[in-house]
Amino acid sequence: MNSEGNASGSTIPASEMVDHLFRNRSGQMVSYLTRMLGPEHLDLAEEVVQEALLKALQNWSYHGIPENPAGWLFRVARNAALDAIRHRSLTIEKEAQVEAEYLGRGSTRIDEDPRLEERLRDDELRMVLMCCHPVLSSDARVALSLKTVGGFNVREIARAFLTEEATISQRLVRAKRQIRDLNIKFEMPVGVDLPARLTSALEVIYLMFNEGYAAQSGEDLVRDDLCMEALRLGRLLADSSVGTPAIQALVALMAFQAARLPARVDAAGELVLLEDQDHKLWDQRLVAMGFQYFSRCSEGNEISQYHIQAAIAATHAGTSDSKNTDWKMILDLYDQLMVLNPSPIVALNRVVALAQVQGSLAGLEALHPLGNEPFLKRYYLLPAVRGQLLLDLGDRTSAAQNFRNALHQSCSEPERRLLQRRLAECGADS
Amino acid sequence: MAKYLLLLYNDPAGWKALSPDQVQKALEKFVAWRQKIINQGIYLGSNKLAEDAGKVLRGFGQVRVTDGPYSETKEVLGGYFMIEATDYNDAINKTRDCPGLEFGGTIEVRQVDPMVPSA
Repeated sequence: MNSEGNASGSTIPASEMVDHLFRNRSGQMVSYLTRMLGPEHLDLAEEVVQEALLKALQNWSYHGIPENPAGWLFRVARNAALDAIRHRSLTIEKEAQVEAEYLGRGSTRIDEDPRLEERLRDDELRMVLMCCHPVLSSDARVALSLKTVGGFNVREIARAFLTEEATISQRLVRAKRQIRDLNIKFEMPVGVDLPARLTSALEVIYLMFNEGYAAQSGEDLVRDDLCMEALRLGRLLADSSVGTPAIQALVALMAFQAARLPARVDAAGELVLLEDQDHKLWDQRLVAMGFQYFSRCSEGNEISQYHIQAAIAATHAGTSDSKNTDWKMILDLYDQLMVLNPSPIVALNRVVALAQVQGSLAGLEALHPLGNEPFLKRYYLLPAVRGQLLLDLGDRTSAAQNFRNALHQSCSEPERRLLQRRLAECGADS
Repeated sequence: MAKYLLLLYNDPAGWKALSPDQVQKALEKFVAWRQKIINQGIYLGSNKLAEDAGKVLRGFGQVRVTDGPYSETKEVLGGYFMIEATDYNDAINKTRDCPGLEFGGTIEVRQVDPMVPSA
């Protein structure tokens, strides 16, 4: 037993393993292998990566964590890919095969390549842009990005989206088939394709973020993970050579909003609205990140809707106490946002700011025309906002009626409980 | 104190569906458990076995070599730990929280028979 008596602990303790190391590295490895094998073999890339992770589980359990965990994983995944190419005699494009062989015999071991991280980021970036190809449905783009680059599995995606696993699986199978059938390439889009693809990527990232941010149950961490993954992908794009001011603005917006996640739910698991939040609970690291990207996004001439939204979030983030919020500035920003993106949701948010500046009665008047918006017909926030304004004006009966209407629309459990608390404040029974 | 061999059997097919995050969590538990028994000073060694059935040699005049016995079963002997314990009860208690028991794993505990001192 002499050879095994290495009890001195020369191995790295578990605490050295960063949160989500496997998730993030698996996304990078899938991207890297997809470049080698071609997008038509995305499934194989995923299989090989899963194999590498399980090998790590079995090996490190007995031997401890190696000095370079990421390098270990990559070497094992690459070897498994080469094995798969040989054993399954795949019809892989010659070039990809040559490259795979080259990497297999190359003098620079992958875990020693000083440019490894840079190359991996590049692969990830291409993968995101491939997953955001406009021929794929927007649902499929999000699911595929999460699965391949994000390292989420089907169950986690389904949970994050409150959907059935089978639905997500079908979505992924279909998307992969489209990639094969349409011969979508794993390369950086050029010319007019690039801005179109970037716009799509921004939508996907923002959708991913909102899905995690909205309807926080406070019980399911996967939804927080979704926000953090969107932020990670946003930064990947923002920090790359194709980063645009709109991307910087979106990252700023997401960082500001993610900073509030710890303050959004109180100790009892109840939802806390922005105006009631304890700003000290905001994640200061993320607030700082928000301001960092916010200053970068204003360097160009472009003003996107993300710029305005980031500016609104920055105004909130820059206020130490919500009582001192500069609502006039926020209303002004919403006016600008209405020009760029005149959506009913933006209009509704503008009313909230307007009521803060000009009073609840003015808010109610501004709310009136929104009642005809078909898009807001089934949206619980319209009657909820109206109810709050009526409650502020002392009209408890009408307020209660509106909170009851809001409760008839679909909303998350914590939102429902918040509405019920408001209804109770009206002194009415539900 | 005696030496005890912990033989860890598992069914790798059950791991196929684990997400990267879940794999990492399982691994962290294992690494923490190994560190714990190292800190307790009862860890004598551990090894992962190769993922094949191994070979069996049978001797009766001429040696016959066959494939290992586990090729037909789902459960495979994944690896082993060697620890120190006072008796079987102690060894069992020290093994009870081994993460190898998660995901339906089995651990066989065998005492290493100490050499009988010569008179």
